[in-house]
Amino acid sequence: MGGRGEMRLIISDLERDERRRLFPQPLAETIWLEEEGPIHHCLGCFGCWVKTPGVCVIRDQYGDMGEMLSKCTEVIIISHCCYGGFSPFVKNVLDRSISYLHPYFTIRNGRMHHRRRYKNHFHLQVWFYGEDITVKEKETAEKLVKANAINMDASDYSVAFVRHIAEMEGRIR
Amino acid sequence: MKIALINGSPKRKESASGLVLEIFKAFVAKDDNQIYEFHFDQPQVRKEEITLLADCDLLLLAFPLYVDGIPSHLLHCLRQLEGAFRAPGGKEIMVYTIVNCGFYEDAHNELAIAMMKNWSERAGLKWGQGLAIGGGGMLPFLKSIPLGRGPFKKLKPAFAQLASHALNRSSGETIFFTPAFPRFLYKLAGEIGWRQAVKANGLRSGDLFLRK
Repeated sequence: MGGRGEMRLIISDLERDERRRLFPQPLAETIWLEEEGPIHHCLGCFGCWVKTPGVCVIRDQYGDMGEMLSKCTEVIIISHCCYGGFSPFVKNVLDRSISYLHPYFTIRNGRMHHRRRYKNHFHLQVWFYGEDITVKEKETAEKLVKANAINMDASDYSVAFVRHIAEMEGRIR
Repeated sequence: MKIALINGSPKRKESASGLVLEIFKAFVAKDDNQIYEFHFDQPQVRKEEITLLADCDLLLLAFPLYVDGIPSHLLHCLRQLEGAFRAPGGKEIMVYTIVNCGFYEDAHNELAIAMMKNWSERAGLKWGQGLAIGGGGMLPFLKSIPLGRGPFKKLKPAFAQLASHALNRSSGETIFFTPAFPRFLYKLAGEIGWRQAVKANGLRSGDLFLRK
């Protein structure tokens, strides 16, 4: 993994073949997080806050998400739009990422959120794909990305929708 | 009426979702109502559970808010159910949802409720109503403070309204509830709780700040 604040992370639910078609050349300073092995869902145990602070107690390959996010200047999410949110795999990765934050509360934008554990701020860029995303789902998804950006104290965020994966070609560099 | 109460918490026991389901159950367990209880703590629903659910008149799902949305294991279950419910010839099933979050403000749950509405539409079910509960860290006190008293004064009418809509198979606007308790004290109590929890694991309170 790179040093603090140098890395770009792409969390994606694309099939490997789809990804290779979209990104034939490797992207610089980029780590791809895809469904490559079994991923356990978050158990809600808060072990990543009070047993092994900063590290998930489930030791599959998604157990160090907090550390990974702490090294990013940019986080890109490519996800099928599922009911106005992320697909189960992408959401699973995000659920397993709360060690990036500190359990203590802070007030941000007038509402309670978690305090940061790390100092980096990343730009959050989200691409939702799906052929039949409804108007309501789009509306929910836009609000969701904004809420996620505030929760993770991102420096900035953007959200885009495409009907087909191929429409993303050349737009993520 | 056949009522399905679904606990969507990944916690096997002592979940806040289980607690709110018990409260709701007391409001609807009457007359000829048949109550079926489910716990979706894994990312899949069993075949026999799907058959039972498809025969219910209403579903009430209760789950904790995870990263502004639905926990991933429950999303898997919802996708599975969507496919099953969309089969033609199914009966009209109403959907009610209770979402609780650890943040003080109830409004954080709004997006998860919107997602549940979107799911109902996709699955061909009819949306009933949502109840958004903030200050979820206080819910365990419901074991010692009666519903309708002190910080939970307004929770009783909230459940009554939700249950009334459910029993009449009608729809309503989302109900929002945050305990009547100052936010700064909730924040302070939360921090004390985290320090106690980390110490109980043999660590020091400063370890809460560890970075990897």
